[in-house]
Amino acid sequence: MRLKRSQLLVTLLFLFGVQGALQSVIFPLWKKNYAPVKQSKDGFVSDSLSPDQIILQLFGFREFLSGILWVRADGFFDSGNYDAVLPMIRLCTVLDPRQIDIFSTGMWHIAYNFTDEEQRSDRRYVASALALGKEGAAQNPDTYEIFFETGWIWFHKIDDEYHNSVKWFELAHQRADMQAGRRNLLSNAYQRNNQLDEALDLYIKLLAKANDAAKANPKEHMLQTMRDTVEGNLDTMIVRLVQRGTLAQRRGDYAGGQYDTNPPFDVGFSARVTVENPRVIRVEGTWNVASIGTRVRIVLRDKDMEGGKLAELDWDARDAVDLEPSRDVTFMQDQLFVKNRRFKKLIDMSKDPTMYPFSETKKNYVVEFYYNPRSAPPHIQDKFGFNGEGFTDSNFLRTDVRKDFVYDLSQKDSKGKYSVDPKLVEGKTSQRVMYYAMDLTREQLLRRGQWSMDGGQTPILTTKNFDPKKVITVDEVIAVPTLRGQEGHGNIEEKKK
Amino acid sequence: MMGPILAIAKTTVGEAIRRRVLLVILMIGVLLLSIIPSLGVLTARQEKAVMISTMFAVLRATSALIAIILTIYMIPNEIERRTIYTILSKPVQRWQFLVGKYLGAVFALFIMIAMMSAVMIILYKVFHNPDMASLLDVAKQPINYFMEMSLLSALSIFISTFAPPLVNFFLSFGLWGVGTVLNPLYDSVAQNSGTGPIMKGVATIATKVLPNFAQYDIKNPIINPETIIENPQMYTIYITGYAIVYITFLLIGGMLIFEKREV
Amino acid sequence: MGAAIEIQKLTKVYKSRLAGEVKVVNELDLVVEEGEIFGFLGPNGAGKTTTIKMLLGIIYPSYGEAYVLGKEIGDIEVHRRISYVPERPYYYEHMTGLELLMFYASLFGINDREKCIKLLEKVNLAGDMSKTISQYSKGMQQRVGLAQSLLNDPGLLFLDEPTGGLDPIAHTEIRDLILQFRDEGRTVFISSHELSEVERICDRVAIIHKGVLVRQGKLDDLLRGGRVEVIADGVSKEVGADAKEFGDSIVSYHDGRLIADVPEDHDLNALIDGIRTSGGKIQSIIPRRKRLEDLFVEAVRGDK
Repeated sequence: MRLKRSQLLVTLLFLFGVQGALQSVIFPLWKKNYAPVKQSKDGFVSDSLSPDQIILQLFGFREFLSGILWVRADGFFDSGNYDAVLPMIRLCTVLDPRQIDIFSTGMWHIAYNFTDEEQRSDRRYVASALALGKEGAAQNPDTYEIFFETGWIWFHKIDDEYHNSVKWFELAHQRADMQAGRRNLLSNAYQRNNQLDEALDLYIKLLAKANDAAKANPKEHMLQTMRDTVEGNLDTMIVRLVQRGTLAQRRGDYAGGQYDTNPPFDVGFSARVTVENPRVIRVEGTWNVASIGTRVRIVLRDKDMEGGKLAELDWDARDAVDLEPSRDVTFMQDQLFVKNRRFKKLIDMSKDPTMYPFSETKKNYVVEFYYNPRSAPPHIQDKFGFNGEGFTDSNFLRTDVRKDFVYDLSQKDSKGKYSVDPKLVEGKTSQRVMYYAMDLTREQLLRRGQWSMDGGQTPILTTKNFDPKKVITVDEVIAVPTLRGQEGHGNIEEKKK
Repeated sequence: MMGPILAIAKTTVGEAIRRRVLLVILMIGVLLLSIIPSLGVLTARQEKAVMISTMFAVLRATSALIAIILTIYMIPNEIERRTIYTILSKPVQRWQFLVGKYLGAVFALFIMIAMMSAVMIILYKVFHNPDMASLLDVAKQPINYFMEMSLLSALSIFISTFAPPLVNFFLSFGLWGVGTVLNPLYDSVAQNSGTGPIMKGVATIATKVLPNFAQYDIKNPIINPETIIENPQMYTIYITGYAIVYITFLLIGGMLIFEKREV
Repeated sequence: MGAAIEIQKLTKVYKSRLAGEVKVVNELDLVVEEGEIFGFLGPNGAGKTTTIKMLLGIIYPSYGEAYVLGKEIGDIEVHRRISYVPERPYYYEHMTGLELLMFYASLFGINDREKCIKLLEKVNLAGDMSKTISQYSKGMQQRVGLAQSLLNDPGLLFLDEPTGGLDPIAHTEIRDLILQFRDEGRTVFISSHELSEVERICDRVAIIHKGVLVRQGKLDDLLRGGRVEVIADGVSKEVGADAKEFGDSIVSYHDGRLIADVPEDHDLNALIDGIRTSGGKIQSIIPRRKRLEDLFVEAVRGDK
C-alpha cells in the first residue's frame, strides 16, 4: 500500500478539525463533572503555593497537598495561631474542594474563633464563613453536609433572619444522604421563622419515615430511639401549639381562652450605658423576666455602616471568600445575660484594636439593644409564643425592625434540582421584637475632648424609663421553668434573698 | 499489511519490558504506591480519598514517565543500531514500521500500567476493604490513564520522527504538563473577566490545538463517591474518540515526516 | 544475463554547515550483473554505505537514477527479492536466534519454523538457535544476519562489510557462505574496505573514493598489467644487454644468470626467444599479477 501524501494531508486536516470539535463537546462535560475546582480562582492557587507545591498540584497531587496543608493548619489551630489558618483553609479548599471537613471546620473556625474574649467573636468574619459555605455547597452539591453547615451558621451563630437557615436546612434536607437525626433541625428553623404548618408537617413526615425504618429493622436500637425522638418532638410541638394558644388564634377563640401568652407580658426594658474608660462601656438595665435564659443582644457599631441593618450586619453580603474583612468597620455584638430581672455587663473593647478600630473616619456610633422572642429558649417561648404574641414592651416594642420572609423553595432549576438561589418573598407577618438605639460619638467612646478622662464628663446614655434603683435592688429569683406556667411570667418562684 | 505491523509491535513489547530504565521507573512507581497508605495520617476523614487520589497521581506521573522514555528512544535506537535497515530492506513500509513501533509501545504501556494498577487496587483492598463496586470504580481511572498515556506516547513518537531524544523528552513532558492543565487554565481564563481578548484567544486556540490530557483525569467522582455524574458513558465515548482521532492525527503526521526522513 | 543493479549518475548531496554542500556520492555509474559477486570497494567514508542505502530506498538520492532487479529504487516490491546485511548489525538481543529469524520471516509474511531452522543449520548455528543473541559472538551474529538475509530466498544480497571485525576463522566461514550464495545463483553485492577477502571471491569490483567511482571492471582485467619474472642460466652477454632495454624492466645479469622482471604486456616471447636462441636455459617464468591492494592504493592515490 503506497500512501499518497496529498490524501494524507487532507486526512490530517480533517482529523485536526474533528479533535477540535470533540474538544468543544468534552470541555463542558469535564467542567461539569470532573473539574477539580469549579470556580476560577484567578491565580489564587499559583500565588499561594511554593514552586514545588505548584508542580505537585499540577501533576495531580492536589488532594495530597491539601492533606499536608490541612495537617499543618491543624497545628496552627492547636497553637492558637488562627490568622495563619485562614489562608490555609482557603488554599486547602481550592486545591481539594471535595474536602468537606475543611469547609465545615473552616466555616466554623472563621465564624466562631476570632474572638477577643470568651463569648464575643469578630462578626465581621461571618459573611466570609457563609461565603465559604456557599462555595463548598456549590462544589459539593451532591451531599447535604455543607448545606447543613451553612444553615447551622445562620441558625446558631447569626440566630436571626431565620428564613435563611430554613433555606439552607431545606436544601440539605433535599439531599438523600442527610442523617435522619439532623432533619429535625429544619423543623426548628421553620418554627423560628413562624412557618408552623411546615414545621408540623415535617415532623409528621419524619415520624412516618422513622416508623417505617424502625419497623423494617426492629432489632436496631438506634432506629427505635430515633422514632421516639421524632415522636417526642411532634408531641411537644402539638402541646405547644395548644398551650401557647396558636391553634386558638387560628380558630378565632383565643381572646376568651386561658393561654400562657395571653395577655402579653411587658418585659419592661430599660438600660444605661456608661463609657467608663476609653473603649470600655458598662451596660446595666432591667428586664422583667425572672426565669433563666434570657439574653438581650447588644450591638455597638458605626452609625453609617454600609449595608448595615438594625442590630446586625449584612451577613449574606459576600459570595466570594474574602478573608480580610473591612478593617475600618467597627461592629461589636454581645449578649446581656438577664439574672434577677436585671443585667449588668462591662464590655471592654480596648484589647483588640483590629476588631474594634473606631476608625477616624467614623465619627458616630450607635448602641443597639435587641431582643427577638423567636430566639428565646422554649420555656420562655411558652410565655412569649411562637411569634412573640405573648411579648411586649411598653416603650420599645417594634414590629417594623424585622419583617418575615420566606424563600420560594418550590422553584427548581433546569435539571429538576432545587435552586440554591431561590426567590425571597416577603411574608405577611412581621416579628415582634424589642429594639432601642442610642447614639454615641467617637469622642465619647474614646473619652476625648470634653469627655476626657482627666476631669472631663463621663458619657452616660439612658433610656427614659431607666431607674438606677431597680438595677441594684431587685430580688434574686431562681425560676424553674415548666411547660404549663401558672401565672404572671409563668414560673414558680422558689427562693428569695 | 497487518503482518509486519504486528510482528514489529510484538518485538517492541519484548524489548520494552526488558529495558532496565523502564523497569526501574516501574519499581519506583510501585514503591511509591506502597508507601501511600502510610500517609493516611495526613487527613482525618478523607483518608481514603487522599490515599486514592495520591495513588492516582503517582500512577499517572509514573505512567507518563514510562510512556515518554519508552517512546523517545524507540526510533532513534533502531537507527543507531542499524536494526531499522534490516527491517526497512524487507517489504515493510515506513508507516508500518512506525505504527508497529507505536502499537508495541502501547502494549508495553498497557502491561506496565496494569501492573501498577493491580498493586494499587490490592493496596486499596487491603487497607480499606472496599466493596466490589468501589473497586471497579477505582479501576476506571487507570483505564483512562492508559488512554492518556497512549496519546502521550503517540505524541512522543511523532516528535521522535524529527527531534533527538533529549529535545523530545522535554518537549513531550512540557506538552503533557501543559495538556494536563489545559482545562483548568482555559476555564480560569474564560471565567476571569479581567483577561484580555488576545489572552482569551490564545487560551482557546491552545485548548483546541494542543493534545488535551486533563480530560482523562476523572478521579473527582471516584474519590468523592457521593458525586452524581450524569451520563458518564457518553463522556468516556467522547474522550476515547478524542484519543483515537488525535493519535491517528499524530501517527499520520509522523508518517508524513518519517516517510521523508533519511535514516 | 541482465543487470541486477544499474546505476546512472546517482548522487547524494548533504548540506553541511561547515563545508557547505558535500557530495557523498558523486554521479556514480555502476552495473552489477546477475549471478556475480560484486565487490564495492573503497576506504571508510567513501560513500559505499550511502550508495547501498539509496539502493534500498532507506535514503533518497539527490539526483540520478538507479534500478534494482529492473525496478526503480524505492519500489517496495523489490524488497521481496533482495536482502541486506548491514555493517555490524544489532539484533534484538532478547531474542533467540530462532526467534529472530521467525521475526524477520514474519516481515515477509512467512511463518515457517522449519525453514528458519534449516537456514540456521546452513550458517552453522543449529546448535545455538535457542541461545539469545546477547550470548552470540560477533561471528555468530554475522552468521545469523546472513541467515536472516536468506529468508526470502533473495536474488540479490547486499552485504555491508560482511567480515568487518571478525576473527580469521569467522572470515573463512563467511567467505565460504558467500561463495555458496553465488553457487546458488544469487547476486551478491559486497561493500568492503578489507581487500584480501574480496580479492578471493569477487568476480567484479568497483572502487569508489570520495564518492567518485575510480575503477570498475572484472577483477582479471583490473589486475592485468602485472609483471613476469624470468630466470634463466647460461644466457649470453648480448641477450642480457638486450633484456635491459625492455622498457621498464628490471634486469640483473651476472655470470650468465639473468633475472628479469618485465611488464606483463611487454613482448615476453621476444625475450624468451632471445634467451633460447643464445643457448640459455630458462629456469622459471613466474607471472606476478597485480594485487587488488596495489590496484586499490593506485586508484586512491591516483585520485589524489
